[in-house]
Amino acid sequence: MTTAPQLGEQLIVPAIITHDITRLFGSTVALDSVNVRIEAGVVHAILGENGAGKSTLMNILAGILRPSRGHLEVFGMRRDFRSPTDARSSSIAMVHQHFTLVPAFTVAENLALDSPAGRKFTPYKPTKASSMAMQTAERLGWSLDPTSTTGSLPVGIQQRIEIVKALATGARIVIFDEPTAVLSTREIDDLFRVFKLLKQSGCTVVLIAHKLAEILAVADDINVLRRGKVVAACKAADTNEKQLASWMVGQTFSTGGYQRPGSEIEAQENSNTPALQLRSVSAAGDRGEQVLDAVSFCVGAGEIFGIGGVDGNGQNELAEVLVGLRQIKAGTITWHGQPFKPGSSPTVGFIPQDRRKDGLATEMSVKDNLLIQAVQKKEFMRGPFLANKKLNEVAANLASKFDIRSAGLSTPVSSLSGGNQQKIVAARALYSEPEFIVAVNPTRGLDIGASRFVHEQLIDASRRGAAIVVLSTDMDEIAALSHRTAVITRGSIQEYEIRGRSAEDIGMLLGGALNPEGSRG
Amino acid sequence: MSARRMTTPRSLSARVIKVALQACAAALSFLILLAGTLTLFGIRAKTALPAIADGAFGGWQYGHLYALSETVVEAVPLILTGLGVLVAWQAGMFSIGGEGQLLIGALSAMTVEHFIGNTPAPLITFLMLVASVVGGALWGGIAGWLRTTRNVQEVISTIMLNYIALYLVGAAVLGPLQEPSHSGPETALLPDPVLFAHILPAAWTGGITARLHTGVIIALIAVPCTAVWMYRTRTGFALRLTGRNADAARTAGFSVDRVRLIAMVVSGALCGLAGSVQLLGVSARLDQQFSPGWGYSAIPVALMGGLTPGGTLVSALFFGALTAGTNSAERTAGVPAVVADVLLAASVMAVVAIRAWRGRAQLASGGD
Repeated sequence: MTTAPQLGEQLIVPAIITHDITRLFGSTVALDSVNVRIEAGVVHAILGENGAGKSTLMNILAGILRPSRGHLEVFGMRRDFRSPTDARSSSIAMVHQHFTLVPAFTVAENLALDSPAGRKFTPYKPTKASSMAMQTAERLGWSLDPTSTTGSLPVGIQQRIEIVKALATGARIVIFDEPTAVLSTREIDDLFRVFKLLKQSGCTVVLIAHKLAEILAVADDINVLRRGKVVAACKAADTNEKQLASWMVGQTFSTGGYQRPGSEIEAQENSNTPALQLRSVSAAGDRGEQVLDAVSFCVGAGEIFGIGGVDGNGQNELAEVLVGLRQIKAGTITWHGQPFKPGSSPTVGFIPQDRRKDGLATEMSVKDNLLIQAVQKKEFMRGPFLANKKLNEVAANLASKFDIRSAGLSTPVSSLSGGNQQKIVAARALYSEPEFIVAVNPTRGLDIGASRFVHEQLIDASRRGAAIVVLSTDMDEIAALSHRTAVITRGSIQEYEIRGRSAEDIGMLLGGALNPEGSRG
Repeated sequence: MSARRMTTPRSLSARVIKVALQACAAALSFLILLAGTLTLFGIRAKTALPAIADGAFGGWQYGHLYALSETVVEAVPLILTGLGVLVAWQAGMFSIGGEGQLLIGALSAMTVEHFIGNTPAPLITFLMLVASVVGGALWGGIAGWLRTTRNVQEVISTIMLNYIALYLVGAAVLGPLQEPSHSGPETALLPDPVLFAHILPAAWTGGITARLHTGVIIALIAVPCTAVWMYRTRTGFALRLTGRNADAARTAGFSVDRVRLIAMVVSGALCGLAGSVQLLGVSARLDQQFSPGWGYSAIPVALMGGLTPGGTLVSALFFGALTAGTNSAERTAGVPAVVADVLLAASVMAVVAIRAWRGRAQLASGGD
């Protein structure tokens, strides 16, 4: 099958060209001079690990974010989107991973929301306003019942509504943000059929994904992003899974130059009962879906257990279980053979995945944020009051020990760089020398210096005898830090020594193309 | 350590200057707002502004503190309800329920008085204050409990509870608590010994009895107490943390539900206290028109005060002055007293708008 240019003869102008798009979040560089050329009438995949900048790039294309530097060219015209409406008027639509449908509305009402007819001040008739969208659905071979309530439909159908809704705005370029994440195999096949239909009708499909096999099956052109930069641009026909995987995860697995804790401790500790032991632990997510499936592992005192995996495979839920924020549905957790009571037995230090959501109150001062754990301790109370003098000392000590750079302890955390914010979270988690530490992506968004610092702190904690679980999407990090490693996919964990394996193997393992045993799946 | 000692005085004086500048800017823009509002009402600002100032502060240079007394008397209920609002709002509970809690506070106090009428007067006064605190706390606690166990949004439930409180007062003053002659929908006057004493000697007020009462002491004590509780205790810390990031509070091991409930209970207690203080200090009887909406005015007062105890004190005094000033200017210069309410509303909209504008500016600049 020859690729793109079936329609390329008519549509010589590329659909989208990005010119040196750079996007900063505070001091974090999410995108670094990204130049991507998306031809018209093709399926173009943007590939990369989580945190590589895919979503940021897509949000810029869809007008949700504005680039810090650089500009877009859409069908040969320079564009500066100020809002998603601007993008839509340049015929770009986005199908979000989290749908933008109103669950209580009927299918027709949802489809009428975005349609041009639904916006006029004429009498509102959802069936009429949605008729164009319904025709689109028919053309794609989908039969949608306009009267059923959207929220009651299966996820796959809801996604179809979302797609049809996007197309009904007259979009010529449709961006899909990880569309297959919520779909079953059969639904995925159907979605790919629709991609081909869209292509034939002259639409351009931009696809974010990280499953290699899927991308090779459906895409024409591929860009690979890694740490905010484009590391590869190629035709799908000219590449293979191995090559893509190595582009995605990088070429080298350095140990980062850390001196890992001596193996004698490991041996000694492993001969005893492990500190933390999980046996067939299952847990449900926020919507009641199974997110952890019979997870079993153990961690010894003084040991760092690294769990790698692509985001959304149950890492957050596992971390919440481990720090006592989520109830388990089945299985047992023990701490030195005793019931596991996080907070008292063992004492827990937690570096949450999303520091801005779960770790920090950014409007509050650096001092207050450093003391969120300390104020809960008896030793810092004087009668009914907080012992401010002692607390001030603790905050000042932490700030200097962890090298937190700010204009003063009373400045709000929001004025700090991401690295310094993360140092606050790490300082708080580690200062009281907890027996058990859970760290989720502890260095996401940090520069090399700050990352190394956080890693060294974790290694110090393990030398002190703490049991540590590190969950990360960065395999370099897992490899550099851990005594033992494992991989989490779809809520189940399998121990797997990732060091010494090739980048390709790891990439394919995370992309779901490889079983941990090493055979192709 | 030495570095810190060096920077402290400089940053302190810089902060004082910054706050002073902000206060000046606020006062100036407020005067412009006031003059503009008066002009909209068709009143000459040139005559109305001095009349308002006179009603709020006038005569003190001759040793006549009557106007100042009125200002403080008007500020007292706003201080207490304002503190109540800031406690709830700092915890992220957007309580609109100050009014209902204040009414329930007054109703509880009146009910207690009704049943223990022949105990010594100071004890009655004390028990009335306690009853109002308990009543208000329970009323606030209902909204807190509904939020934490049933996820009923406090914005809705507190408004509903305000109506329930208002009609409970209405039923009480037509029923069990009605005055003995049963001619009007109100309670009997409280006996004088029970009421708060007037604290300004007549010589200071040009011979007129000024309304300033000992309740002001309660209000002034409540300010530092709230400040200490908010900034020097574990619960206060948890409260502020929960209001700013409930997820982080939960992750750090605080019980967010408990904090929210406590915030609503304390908020209700302060507003309830305002009810009995007003009852004992000024009105001496309860009827359905007991409150001109202090519980609602408390929200702009607390917001203007930056949701801090000190700021709330200042802004309550400010709005007290405005109310006293316009009340007086209504008589002397024909300025409608509702101007005060218009201004209160206009200023809170200005504050909210400035905040939204700042937030948007931050978002657009791409800062995180």
